Amino acid sequence: MRRLTRWIPALAAPLLVVGGAVAVPLVADADPGLPDRTPEQVLELIATADDTSFSGTVEQTSELGLPELPEQLGQGDGSVTDLLTGTHTARVFVDGEKSRVQVMDRLAERDVVVNGEDVWLWSSDDQTAVHTTLPEHQRSGPVGDGGATPAEVADRLLEAAGPSTDIQVTDTATVAGRAVYQLTLDPRTDETLVDAATLSVDAETGMPLAVTIRAVGQNEPAFQIGFTEVDYATPDADRFEFTPPAGAEVVEKTLPEHDGPARDRDEGADREGPEPVVTGQDWATVVELPVGEVPEDAMVQQLTVPVEGGRALQTSLVSVLITEDGRVLAGAVPVDTLVAAAR
Amino acid sequence: MSATQREELEPSTARPGRGGGTWSLLGSELAVLFRRRRTQAMLAALAMVPILIAVAVRIENPGDEGPPFLGSITSNGLFVSLTAMTVSIPLFLPLTIGVVAGDTLAGEASLGTLRYLLVAPAGRLRLLVVKYAGAAAFCLAAGGVIALAGALIGALLFPVGPVTLLSGDVVGLGGYLGRLLLLVAYVTLSMLGLSAIGLFISSLTTVPVGAMAATVVLAGAAQILGQLPQLEVIHPYLFSYHWFGFADVLREPVAFDSFTRNALLQLAYVAIFGTLAYGRFSTKDVLT
Repeated sequence: MRRLTRWIPALAAPLLVVGGAVAVPLVADADPGLPDRTPEQVLELIATADDTSFSGTVEQTSELGLPELPEQLGQGDGSVTDLLTGTHTARVFVDGEKSRVQVMDRLAERDVVVNGEDVWLWSSDDQTAVHTTLPEHQRSGPVGDGGATPAEVADRLLEAAGPSTDIQVTDTATVAGRAVYQLTLDPRTDETLVDAATLSVDAETGMPLAVTIRAVGQNEPAFQIGFTEVDYATPDADRFEFTPPAGAEVVEKTLPEHDGPARDRDEGADREGPEPVVTGQDWATVVELPVGEVPEDAMVQQLTVPVEGGRALQTSLVSVLITEDGRVLAGAVPVDTLVAAAR
Repeated sequence: MSATQREELEPSTARPGRGGGTWSLLGSELAVLFRRRRTQAMLAALAMVPILIAVAVRIENPGDEGPPFLGSITSNGLFVSLTAMTVSIPLFLPLTIGVVAGDTLAGEASLGTLRYLLVAPAGRLRLLVVKYAGAAAFCLAAGGVIALAGALIGALLFPVGPVTLLSGDVVGLGGYLGRLLLLVAYVTLSMLGLSAIGLFISSLTTVPVGAMAATVVLAGAAQILGQLPQLEVIHPYLFSYHWFGFADVLREPVAFDSFTRNALLQLAYVAIFGTLAYGRFSTKDVLT
């Protein structure tokens, strides 16, 4: 009997560990007990959000039903595959017009620092710093990177959500330790691959802290971005002062007048040519862009399947069609819709 | 205190200089561990990792190829320790720690010294804790040796200057030393779970080589499992999951998230395998 009691700690320890691993998130995600709000009130909350300065850690996950790419291939090269697969963590610092995003890769980091008219892109892997000066009229939102924070993704979704969207407050929850209202945007149309999008809006500040987009016919969320940690204190001013370190390669890039600030940071500066053609409405919008040349490399061949008139990439959320005559069509719609639109 | 002292009277005959409380037991354990030729040889081998890297880079400039930080060495010798740490974490550190942790109990058992240490039954828990502390001290020494040897050989062979962090910010020598200390602390922490597993395996057998090999194999297996995308669900629970998170102390500001998560994970492993080792060791019939 005495010998058996000596094994009690060994039995208790795993239970304690598992119990802790289960209970801690439960306590952290406890229902915050917020008063009821109508969708209009939550939208108003977002519109008047007090999000001029904050810092935090953002985690982004994509589950688009693409084949898993080996980590070395998909990570850290800033390419399309980078955003489409796996999980990424970034730290975000924002103070008014100044901002810094640090994408934390394995043993590496990519930074985007915006300070007034100066924009720095830093990559620790190639030890390069790219400097761009923004023209006066383009200094707008804090982060020029398009989708670095949940708030920016939420803004884009709300822009896209017209009268064709059913907006409801579905729940309250806790995100990054903050009480949030969950606003669900449900497209009324069946033409889109988007099943629903959920915004978690900080009940106090009105800043969207997390966005989850679900695709039709998939259990796991197709796209998720959210703070795991957020702090509304003004970040240290040093964060926004970037000086290229000695030994780094410094590249000076000038923006053409008509282009947006690093919206497409891989090709932002040299993208020109005809405007994209937009067809369809709201969630079922199809964007058509002539590219002139069909990319032939192995990655494209591997990811796409041949369809009528070209090759198509089908993910659970977005479809892309590359036609044989050199156009690219994309949208949150099934490939068939793109094929029809391409004719 | 006097009761515990009495318990120690018997073990004190097993080795010279042993006696008194837990601290002196720990002291003699550390002295035996670090005076052992095998331990010294392993620490010397670990010190060779940065030295070999630095000499190789000195002979031929690697350009942009190779492990992270390697390309930065030519312009700043202080990066030698970072490269060496990156190279050592998957193989050399687990290997040496497997040897030390696997030897803890099985080594004493095979030498026949275990029964002298265990004459007093209440001493078993304390002996287990002291043995584990010895293994943990070796983790610290191993990480420290790599960092120190790297910094020294780097300063000797290459120019030394302000260090560029992953975030592109630059820190001076003081900042570098602070980061290096954090790095060693992180690496030591990372290896605590493996040490606990080694301690448990060591309590199962009287053949130290078997325990060492099993521990090292587990370290390799965990890393292989961590590479398979199909097993993504279990990845966060592998003790090797945060091993490369040490890069987070090289960001500005230091990202302590992975530190905390790593600490919790390792703590869970120490709790589970520590208590298993206790269950096994305290009920074991020590015949040899």
